Amino acid sequence: MPKQSPIPDELDKPFYDACNEERLVVQYCPACSRYQFPPRNACGGCLNPGIQWKQVSGRGRIQSRVVVYDTPVSVLIPDQPFNVATIALEEEPEIIMLSHLPGTPVEQVPIGAQVEVIFETTPATGQKIPEWRVVS
Amino acid sequence: MAILISFDIDGTLEFGDPPGGITLEMVKRAQDLGFLIGSCSDRFPSAQKSLWEARDIQVDFVAAKHMLPDIRQRFEADIYVHIGDRDLDRQLAEQAGFQFLWDHEGEAEPWLEWVK
Amino acid sequence: MASHPMTPNSWHRNREGLGIWHGRGKVAATGVGTSPTARRWDEKPETSMGALTLIAIRKAIEDAGISPSEIDGIVITPESTTGVSNDPNTPPPEGWDQVFKMVDYPQAGITRGDIDWILVNMPELTNVQFKMEGRGCMSVSFTTAAEAVARGLTHTCLVIRGWHNLAGRYYVGQGAAAGDTLAGPQKYAGLWGAPACAGTAMIFEEYCNKYGKNHDMMAPFIVEQRKNGLMNPDGFYSQHRPEMITVEDYLSGRWIAKPANIYDNDLPIQAALAVIMTTAERAKNHRPKPAYVLTHAQTRPESQGVTPTLESWERLSDKMGRMLFEGAGIGPDDLDFENMYDGFTLFHQFHLEGLRFGANGEKGRGYALDLYQEDISITGPNPVSPSGGNNGNGRTRFWNHRDSILQVQGRSPSQISKPANIGVSGSHMPHMCDSLIWSSSPD
Repeated sequence: MPKQSPIPDELDKPFYDACNEERLVVQYCPACSRYQFPPRNACGGCLNPGIQWKQVSGRGRIQSRVVVYDTPVSVLIPDQPFNVATIALEEEPEIIMLSHLPGTPVEQVPIGAQVEVIFETTPATGQKIPEWRVVS
Repeated sequence: MAILISFDIDGTLEFGDPPGGITLEMVKRAQDLGFLIGSCSDRFPSAQKSLWEARDIQVDFVAAKHMLPDIRQRFEADIYVHIGDRDLDRQLAEQAGFQFLWDHEGEAEPWLEWVK
Repeated sequence: MASHPMTPNSWHRNREGLGIWHGRGKVAATGVGTSPTARRWDEKPETSMGALTLIAIRKAIEDAGISPSEIDGIVITPESTTGVSNDPNTPPPEGWDQVFKMVDYPQAGITRGDIDWILVNMPELTNVQFKMEGRGCMSVSFTTAAEAVARGLTHTCLVIRGWHNLAGRYYVGQGAAAGDTLAGPQKYAGLWGAPACAGTAMIFEEYCNKYGKNHDMMAPFIVEQRKNGLMNPDGFYSQHRPEMITVEDYLSGRWIAKPANIYDNDLPIQAALAVIMTTAERAKNHRPKPAYVLTHAQTRPESQGVTPTLESWERLSDKMGRMLFEGAGIGPDDLDFENMYDGFTLFHQFHLEGLRFGANGEKGRGYALDLYQEDISITGPNPVSPSGGNNGNGRTRFWNHRDSILQVQGRSPSQISKPANIGVSGSHMPHMCDSLIWSSSPD
């Protein structure tokens, strides 16, 4: 599904640069061993400004899902209905990312199933973004 | 030729909220030509029925807008048309096998030409 | 843009162990003023969000039976939508300056609530000294005003929130959603095109899986919400669409983000509310019975990811319950009704369970949808959301607070049958909420 292209900013440029190299990184606080995404200027747990980017395994689990029938995003309307699932990262299940679960039909989302990251090119700018597919 | 026209309400009909460009006169003209008419909208079906009754129009059907396939199954017609004002209306109409007209296209009453 | 101080962080009661609230029973709401409602703005000055706000203020003052000159404080929530706003520099429509005096900020009174705009257009408010912004939600303005009165910074304070809804769709295919690129923090989730209700729907789905519930079990709550809302002459539905929803209507509703259907989403409207908050001493001289504040509390997100989790909603709504009961010196069984937020309907049960409302002291998490199958009406033992909330009145995030005040004053249009001695209201999400305990008695 062709998505809008994200425009990186100063804060999240390392994330999107890594996506273009097909690596998944999220922020990590070495002071309190806490992962976080979306990125912030400091750790949301201990406020440590010395936050780092850390590559993660790219494995996760489907936590929940909806089937979208009425999206506000114009470019996605032709693809309705479509899945949007929450993916809990293996390293930290409270880190949630979203996915259309390419290849998984609506109403057939296997809750709890293992997924792995893939990288999808967005048409407008060519920026790559993380997507997830079920590990068969 | 049997023609069925389904109207969205809000943003399409003049008594919608917001009002659309399709007037009651246009609806009545279509009905006078023997068309099957009704509404498929996000208003509750019972509320749609009340809206029509308050305007002295006896419609053939009212339904939620995602029930267009059900309307197609219930009524035999040569042409099925849905008129609406959102991309979603168009998608639901096309998925149900209806021709779709935008509200502003409907204002020109193209169906008057179809029956000639 | 003129702005006024925001609520100091130290005023928020956002952790356990703070004990009884220092203002318990010393602050009360009295006068309540509600504007007419409209689905969308027709771009006439006299129907603008600002105009509605002025109507609400005048009605609140009249309801309180006081002189405008007695008002010495204003707390406002300046944000007046969660949908589409005009660019801040958009000039007002033609004729605006013939109806209203202008301030520096051109969207004041249109897409933003503004204390200075109110003051120049209400010259009868001659004595306002205390001015503060309760940002984001009217709940914050209520808790801010409660603190300000308790701290002696104002003795008669207006709490104000207006809502605008511009022509067009609330945010479908507009603004960022219309383009082929996306910037700003919304890109982390926005690319996937999930509508606003989807985050709630995903956690609701998890909740159902965890506790063996389903979406159909929401129907009695939805029906009751609309029934209660239609009793409110100031609500959008009673004024403009007085049709009752049926269980069948709800169950056949169009999916927006399954398991959230169209009737799980609240309808954006234009409306405004103003409430007078004052000291317990002065409240005795106001016309309505005082609705005393026993405490207030706040939760804020602890999420590490793009969306919150079921665990965080349960954790934080539990914390909200404990903080409120600690600050008010009461327990769950003391609540005669609950008016927690409902926009979206699918998260109301998290608030309800965090408060252990209707749990009879014995139930843990996962009971609320079963409670919905029992008598949750205003005549029953556990009145759930007697205001009708957003779902029964239109999207404002204030019907719940308004009704809690009216309930303990004994004059709600959907007054519960049993004595309404103590109730609770709070908005908005289960992990991001500001709530108050209201009481008919200061003790």
